[in-house]
Amino acid sequence: MRRQHILKGDDRRIWLIIAAIALLGVLILPLSQALFGLRFSYTVRVVALGGAILGLISGALGCFAVLRRESLLGDALSHAALPGVAIAFLLAGRELGPLLIGAGIASWLSLRFVAALLATTRLKQDAALGIALASFFAAGIALLAYIQSIPDAGQAGLDHFIFGQAAAIIESDVRLVSAVGIAVLLVLALFWKEFKLVTFDPEFAGANGFRSGRLNALLSTLIVVTIVLGLQLAGVILMVGMLIAPGVAARQWTHKLDQMVILAAVFGAFSGGVGAVVSALDSDIPTGPTIIVAAFALVLISLAFAPGRGLVWSRMRARTNRRRLAARNTLRDLYRYALAHGASDAAVPDAFIRGVGDGSAELGLRELRAGGLATLDAAGWRLSPSGIELARRRRRNQQLWDLYRLHADELGLPVLDADSQSDIATRLPPAAVAKLEKLLPESAEA
Amino acid sequence: MMPLERFLIDFLLNFVAREELNAFLRSPQNTAILVGCLIAISGALLGAFLLLRGLALTSDAISHTVLLGIVVAFLLMTEVFGVEGDTSSPWLVLGASLAGVGTVMLTEMLYRSGLVRQDAALGLAFPLLFAIAVILVSRFVDDAHLDEDAVLVGEIGLAWANTNSHCFENCESVTVTEKHPAARMTRQCSNCRALGISPRDSRAEFIEVCANCGVYRPAQAWNAGLLEREPALVFFPKSISVTLVIALFTLAFVLLFYKELKLAAFDAALAKTLGYRPGLLNYALMILVSLAAVGAFDAVGSILVIAFFIIPPAAAYLLTDRLALLLLLSPLIGAAGAYFGYDLARGQLFGVLPIAEGIALINRLFGLDLIETWDSSISASMVLMIFIFFTLAWVFSPRYGLISTLVRRSNSRRLFAEQVVLAHIRNHQGTAQAATELRVETLHAHFRWTPRKMARVLARLRALGAIRIIAGQAQLTERGENRARHFRRTMLEANNMPAVD
Repeated sequence: MRRQHILKGDDRRIWLIIAAIALLGVLILPLSQALFGLRFSYTVRVVALGGAILGLISGALGCFAVLRRESLLGDALSHAALPGVAIAFLLAGRELGPLLIGAGIASWLSLRFVAALLATTRLKQDAALGIALASFFAAGIALLAYIQSIPDAGQAGLDHFIFGQAAAIIESDVRLVSAVGIAVLLVLALFWKEFKLVTFDPEFAGANGFRSGRLNALLSTLIVVTIVLGLQLAGVILMVGMLIAPGVAARQWTHKLDQMVILAAVFGAFSGGVGAVVSALDSDIPTGPTIIVAAFALVLISLAFAPGRGLVWSRMRARTNRRRLAARNTLRDLYRYALAHGASDAAVPDAFIRGVGDGSAELGLRELRAGGLATLDAAGWRLSPSGIELARRRRRNQQLWDLYRLHADELGLPVLDADSQSDIATRLPPAAVAKLEKLLPESAEA
Repeated sequence: MMPLERFLIDFLLNFVAREELNAFLRSPQNTAILVGCLIAISGALLGAFLLLRGLALTSDAISHTVLLGIVVAFLLMTEVFGVEGDTSSPWLVLGASLAGVGTVMLTEMLYRSGLVRQDAALGLAFPLLFAIAVILVSRFVDDAHLDEDAVLVGEIGLAWANTNSHCFENCESVTVTEKHPAARMTRQCSNCRALGISPRDSRAEFIEVCANCGVYRPAQAWNAGLLEREPALVFFPKSISVTLVIALFTLAFVLLFYKELKLAAFDAALAKTLGYRPGLLNYALMILVSLAAVGAFDAVGSILVIAFFIIPPAAAYLLTDRLALLLLLSPLIGAAGAYFGYDLARGQLFGVLPIAEGIALINRLFGLDLIETWDSSISASMVLMIFIFFTLAWVFSPRYGLISTLVRRSNSRRLFAEQVVLAHIRNHQGTAQAATELRVETLHAHFRWTPRKMARVLARLRALGAIRIIAGQAQLTERGENRARHFRRTMLEANNMPAVD
């Protein structure tokens, strides 16, 4: 029972990484103030907080979009919010609350529109998403152009919703966004088990009496709410990046949903905060693109360095394997040649050993020399005593495995997946190995 | 481009007078509609194949990243080579199409790494490249033709103004040198900037420079008043020739490789087995998509262009099953959208319904005071118009439309209800339970239907002459008997059971 309370090594590492990044994120403003003497105004601090909160929420919810293979749905939904923003502006003026509600309604309508297209036509998902995206976005642009023709100063700032403008965030906005965000996260926590189930195995969920349809709709609605909250920061065009990039990055580090969601939230908060601050410092740079670039940097780091899955590690693993295999084959070739030419420490001409095999001899010879298993002298390559010993043992192991394949049945040996790379003594009981050894030809013992 | 335009104009001048041609091209409406139609043609032809292969959103990705190619090439041109930036220059087009193909390759690489799924790879790659492009535009590009607004909607309404002039008569190029009578000499301070002093400073040195020297082409020379006789000029909008070339290119590609494209779209594996290299064809397609996206960038911006790729083929796909018809219908739908879209932007729906009255109606209904003149983005309106056509196809398509689907479904539901009732009567007719099972008043209970539904089904069956009701009991007529037997046999056959009767 006590084992349950002990985290496994992997898990502990993930949590440590999460804590470290979160701590760094929290401390980054005070630290940079102390270290570099940067002075951040009140506005910049508000913007940073807003950006971090929005990033946190979209990172957490974005995980589900990534896992359900609905990344591009996020793209369509965020583009589709634009006409809602415009209509809400026409009806209610420039108040964040109504604008977000309008955006949410439009985005949700596009979700239903895509679902209706998929249900009633033979169009595939990609086409349906493209239609919804382009037509809603065009409606939004047309309405914005109409609004711009109205001689009224109040429309300023509406186009912030296209590319995002963090500098426009004020304290009351942050309060509103936090309140809605907490509600979203609460719902997520409340339906955690159900969402996990419909995300990974909707058929199983349905068979067990969960209402997959309704749960899916609820989850999609939460994603819509998240997108709408993030619009002000990232803008309709690039919101999809803010939604899925943290999720994709987090996915590289862990296989567990809880860790992934929390890590994605931290990544999202980090990139949201950084993007907001950078663009608030220079009004020429729109916020959305900056956030995307920051988030994508995290994705790249994760793709490259995430333990186990990362490209750097898998490259290194592949290289080690290749080297090990080359050394193994070259050692075998050297030993064979030497045995065929008299003694096991006979010299093997350099040109010969480089000529045989699949061209990996160069690599193998370097490995063997570095390991002290073979040396080069005027006559050619010569195995050292330890090299001879290793080669002999491998050869014997190989022969035993060959015999096992031939005679396992008649000797009544346990059935195994024969793998001549592994030491047979570790796979078979000693009595079985002894039986096989009896079959070895005498010459091999020499 | 120039020789091509020249050729085209020569050809057109056979039919119309020069003044008429100029008047036609100088109208913003004609040029915008022409450009829109040409974009719609190339977009729809390519989009049809993308749609069939399930790659519709690839056009989205490409059109986003083409922007990065354009911006980088633009910056290279203006900052490094010092050439005047022009968004329809062939170098820009080349750079941008390379960027488009690069995106496709990047996405494939990302998802072949096995770490990212395909949708996420697409969703990651193009926002990133687009974001970089937007940052570059807003930070480094200071040009009227390339700002965030142009990225979004393009400027198809101004396409008529950006022209190449072609001269046909009285063509005199004028070279103004310092000795030319028209030369204007001005004094310029030669060391003010270097020393950081004002021209009034006593240390300032001046040189005489010619303000208007250079080579004047006929049109410029006439405008500058250097010519006595007016040259016969035709002003040809650059966008028309660019989009025309791309549309012709696309058309040629589709006609030449029709068979290969068709095979690759419907059965890529077979195409590969037969040695057609669908991979290569795929890249050719992507290059053309990028080209079309670049060509359309000036006119409709980099986001709305995907509507021209996706929506017309989707609408045509709901109307027909034949590839040839699909390829014919989708450019038509796109072009019609472009044509009526211009009117929509100017406040006329289909040229008859004024939008202003609609807004006035909304104002009256909801007590709002919205401005009643509707003057909106042309490119967005074209997309909306295409979407309206899509909706029409969706609702009214004879085979796959909403209405016909609803009718078909209700027909088959009704047919099924009739068949089960007939089968029920046939099963129980002449058995001991016939009296209870076939009583009309209680018949609905055996099916768990509402009495109303049962009454409707029975009324229809009686009208068809399939049953008769005698003393409150339903009985099959001979025709009903035949129908029930036929139904039973087909059902058994459909389920591979021996048809015993």
